Amino acid sequence: MSERNDHKVVVPIGPQHPSLKEPGSFKITLDGEKVERAVIEIGYNHRGIEKACESRNYMQALYIIERVCGICSHAHTSCFCQAFEELAGLEVPRRAHYIRGIVGELERLHSHLLWLGVAAHEIGFDTLFMYTWRDRELVLDLLARIGGNRVNYGVNTYGGVRRDLESELMADILRVCDQLEEKLKYYAALALTETTLIARLKGIGVLTPDDVRKFSAVGPVARAAGIMADTRIVEPYGVYQEIAVTPIVDDHCDVYGRTLVRVKEMLEAIRLIRLFVREIPDGPISVRAPRKLPVGEVLSRVEAPRGENVHYIRSTGADMPDRVRVRAPTEANWHGMSHMLEGFQLADVPIIIAAIDPCYSCTDRAIHLVGGGINQLTDWESIRLHSIEQYKSRGIDPSTIKMREF
Amino acid sequence: MNVEETILALNTHFPALAAVSPRPLRVFTSFTEPKQFEEALRFANGTLGYHKGKHIVGTDEGEEIGMSYILSNDENVLLVLRERVPKNAAHVRSMGELYPSLVLHEREMVDLFGVQVSGLPEGPRYPLPDCWPEGEYPLRKEWNPAFFNKQTTTYEPPKEDDAK
Repeated sequence: MSERNDHKVVVPIGPQHPSLKEPGSFKITLDGEKVERAVIEIGYNHRGIEKACESRNYMQALYIIERVCGICSHAHTSCFCQAFEELAGLEVPRRAHYIRGIVGELERLHSHLLWLGVAAHEIGFDTLFMYTWRDRELVLDLLARIGGNRVNYGVNTYGGVRRDLESELMADILRVCDQLEEKLKYYAALALTETTLIARLKGIGVLTPDDVRKFSAVGPVARAAGIMADTRIVEPYGVYQEIAVTPIVDDHCDVYGRTLVRVKEMLEAIRLIRLFVREIPDGPISVRAPRKLPVGEVLSRVEAPRGENVHYIRSTGADMPDRVRVRAPTEANWHGMSHMLEGFQLADVPIIIAAIDPCYSCTDRAIHLVGGGINQLTDWESIRLHSIEQYKSRGIDPSTIKMREF
Repeated sequence: MNVEETILALNTHFPALAAVSPRPLRVFTSFTEPKQFEEALRFANGTLGYHKGKHIVGTDEGEEIGMSYILSNDENVLLVLRERVPKNAAHVRSMGELYPSLVLHEREMVDLFGVQVSGLPEGPRYPLPDCWPEGEYPLRKEWNPAFFNKQTTTYEPPKEDDAK
């Protein structure tokens, strides 16, 4: 912290700090407690992914693209595959579109649940944080069953998907949807009625519709300012060409609006998943894709949980791309961040930053380690029992504590 | 303004751009020199209603660096306007005044392609670290990651004598 001659204080936050789980540096100039200026420095996680794609064939590039983000890996591969398929002129089977849709909406669910927990944690509402992260496990377990991983599921491939959904798994998806819907309705009611939550989130991090256009914000940030910026609606692709998404917008233009949009989007995701499972057609899940692409370029976009994802591929006719450009939604939402912070209190900084749902790496946790003599599955109940035993060993019996049913 | 109207307006005022639409909601133009590009960009912003600056795609065009600016309007059309500058004198003006959302991407062009952007507002570099060696631009085709020493953060291509 340093004090300037004009008695204004500059507070450096980051690159490593308690608010975010990924490095980002913020130099906040304060006039009293009020943020007067915010300078953002990012780029600590630059990994040269685009350069790496240029020296690998398309199939290898797909694996790299999947690792752009741990949370929305499926959105990235969907966008990249879509770009490839457009340039190759591939007709993706309908069943593959539906499977991509189901996984995409499950991903949106777990991403928004994760965000809701982080946001709750930032404002000191750790009970909600624990509830939502517990609920997120249900979705992650489904994704792990579909693709073998909790993140980076590896479902997409050029020309379709790599994994089909068995009827038993689809029944379980519907069962989890029922469980989650009940809880999400409770969270939605909480967001609409809990006065502490509303007071903490309302009126901070404001971004008006004009600001959204100026800073080119995307996703829930734009939709919370009343702007229908949802690629699934404005440029329907895949399964969304057959099954329409209900537009969800809000006019609060602040962190509270972004919360409402995400909570409602989770309920919409459940509606969509049920429809996809009910309407999924029989048939093949992929078509054969070429090794090389014809000369050309393509600009593809899909709606990731955080907003519009844009991928550019340029091909010179070889088996590897000449240029790959990935514009993730968080990259778009950083532009308006200084504007969102300025004029608000220092104590609001963490939640305003968190409200754009900045992308941070999600540790890939293996649930099934094959080889090396380790073959163990740890589920939620085992972790809970282990936790109870730990407390009992310290003389506390948490099993006697009654939890609120909801 | 929809795709057809955009193409008509651009090709009427800037025939050299040769705007085309390879698919719905996309308009691609040809590369042009910076002066005409800037005029076209101002026209797209002021007259055609392309107020959103999405991002910039830099490309290595051999002896030149290409910059494709992705813009969008309220009808969700993606318009790609492009300029091209010589690699050995890569210099453009910042369009941040028209599109504040492009400033970060212009910084990327500075770091990754070695394009000098005049008029950029003060701010930290992006996305390379402060210790990155001067004059090394990793997204230029001739830059080979195999020659980058991560320990010393120096770029050490083999000397011509070594290659022989």
